[in-house]
Amino acid sequence: MLEKLFTDIAGIWNKYGMVYLDGIKNTVILATTATVIGCVIGLICGILNTIPVSSRDPLPKRIFLKIVRIILRVYVEVFRGTPMILQAVFIYYGIPYFFGVSFDSIWTVSIVVVSINTGAYMAESVRGGIMSIDIGQTEGAKAIGMNHWQTMTGVILPQAFRNILPQIGNNYIINIKDTSVMFIIGFSDFFAVHKMVSGAIFTYFPSAFMEMFGYLVLTLVASGLLRLLEKHMKGDKNYELASGDQLVMAAGTYKVPSSAEPFEERSREFGGKR
Amino acid sequence: MSEHILEVRHLSKSFGSHQVLTDIDFNVSKGDVTCIIGASGSGKSTLLRCINLLETPTGGEILYHGQDVTGSRIDQCAYRAKVGMVFQSFNLFSNMTVLKNCVYGQVKVAKTDKAAAREKAMYYLGKVGMQEYINAKPDQLSGGQKQRVAIARALAMEPEILLFDEPTSALDPEMVGEVLDVMRNLARDGMTMLVVTHEMAFARDVSTRVVYMADGVIAEEGPPSQVMTDPVNPRTREFLARFL
Ligand SMILES: Nc1ncnc2c1ncn2[C@@H]1O[C@H](COP(=O)(O)OP(=O)(O)O)[C@@H](O)[C@H]1O
Ligand SMILES: [Mg+2]
Repeated sequence: MLEKLFTDIAGIWNKYGMVYLDGIKNTVILATTATVIGCVIGLICGILNTIPVSSRDPLPKRIFLKIVRIILRVYVEVFRGTPMILQAVFIYYGIPYFFGVSFDSIWTVSIVVVSINTGAYMAESVRGGIMSIDIGQTEGAKAIGMNHWQTMTGVILPQAFRNILPQIGNNYIINIKDTSVMFIIGFSDFFAVHKMVSGAIFTYFPSAFMEMFGYLVLTLVASGLLRLLEKHMKGDKNYELASGDQLVMAAGTYKVPSSAEPFEERSREFGGKR
Repeated sequence: MSEHILEVRHLSKSFGSHQVLTDIDFNVSKGDVTCIIGASGSGKSTLLRCINLLETPTGGEILYHGQDVTGSRIDQCAYRAKVGMVFQSFNLFSNMTVLKNCVYGQVKVAKTDKAAAREKAMYYLGKVGMQEYINAKPDQLSGGQKQRVAIARALAMEPEILLFDEPTSALDPEMVGEVLDVMRNLARDGMTMLVVTHEMAFARDVSTRVVYMADGVIAEEGPPSQVMTDPVNPRTREFLARFL
């Protein structure tokens, strides 16, 4: 039995090997690009979602932020709450339907669809990641005058990102598998190759076997890479005491300000919003 | 323009219906070392947080060189950069080394160039005795070391006034001294400081003025020699009796 399977697979491979490889290449490119873009979307949502509002802010600002939050909420619920295969159809046919322009490439639509789908999941992960960081660090940043953007990009998100790496990995693996639904709009990924080849030469099982094996290898490699990234981001456990050279370099060259600058000189930078 | 760096006028703060601060009035002039003492829950932290705008006051005003900072018209960030704060829980940036903790704000907020910021950071880390540890991450330091770095980070912004909220309360007893020493040196160098503390010896020896708070109001204030040895208000006496 096994022998027959391997001969069949060898047969398919000889004839269609390059096509399968090409499918794998498309799958990997789509999944990787969309995961990266999805993460960026998620991080941006996280920044927007956490812009602080206080009762002393002017009303238009408060209304604007409220609207932003509602839009983000709707985005997350809609794209998490519907099948990606439908989202693909919806966007692929919907955009030309309403705007009369069609996508010039199936790649563009596919990346857009998978990215915003991933973004919806990532937005929630990032929100959780931000909440997992002790509020004290945000206050420490505020106390030295850092604004929301500086605090988020410099302090909170790098830590939140590290905390949610496992979830990013999850999404990456899901994307490697689930981009297969993009065949619905004609994207030729790894799975689409199976449908095409089996349809032509009726080798359903051997081809399915190759697909199973192929996807498994891809996802194992992906999770291995993510482990490496996780380890890399953890950083060194030890630190070195600054050596003589480093200390000498910095010693004594700095002059203490004789007195704090009077407020008048600073008032231009201090007064008025930016 | 006023001679005071900071004037707090009729400041009040409530959380919902819970009135935490009522009609607080006091001034801070250059070089003042004001210690705020009082029972836990009396509103000391809330007062400092209002001054640094981490909380929005519900009434009254806070004048910084005569300009009210409680409105929405001022640049909060620029103001905060001039009013440093040291927290009980250090609040260092865990993702950055000691050096970067002290450099980041300078570069991003004060727009100091990197080399100058580094130099300044090294100077202040030296002042708190932490310059050997520039490559360490906060998680690798002891509480006392973390707090000294936090002080250096605040100093590196060259604030006009530095607020301390119980800077030694989260420390093991053997580390309290090293942090208080750093603060003593700062006071000696003329830094304007507003310190919430339970370290009565520090308040007595270092401060130029002591403020005793009870139930959200300033119950008594004056020079430490008076407030701490000969308080007028019986509540102050009662409070101090628990420490001495
Ligand atoms: N964010 C908050 N929400 C509601 N109540 C608060 C908040 N922060 C402080 N309080 C209340 O305000 C009072 C004063 O607190 P705090 O300023 O921390 O006192 P202290 O620092 O003197 O111990 C307490 O009763 C506390 O419960
Ligand atoms: Mg407190």
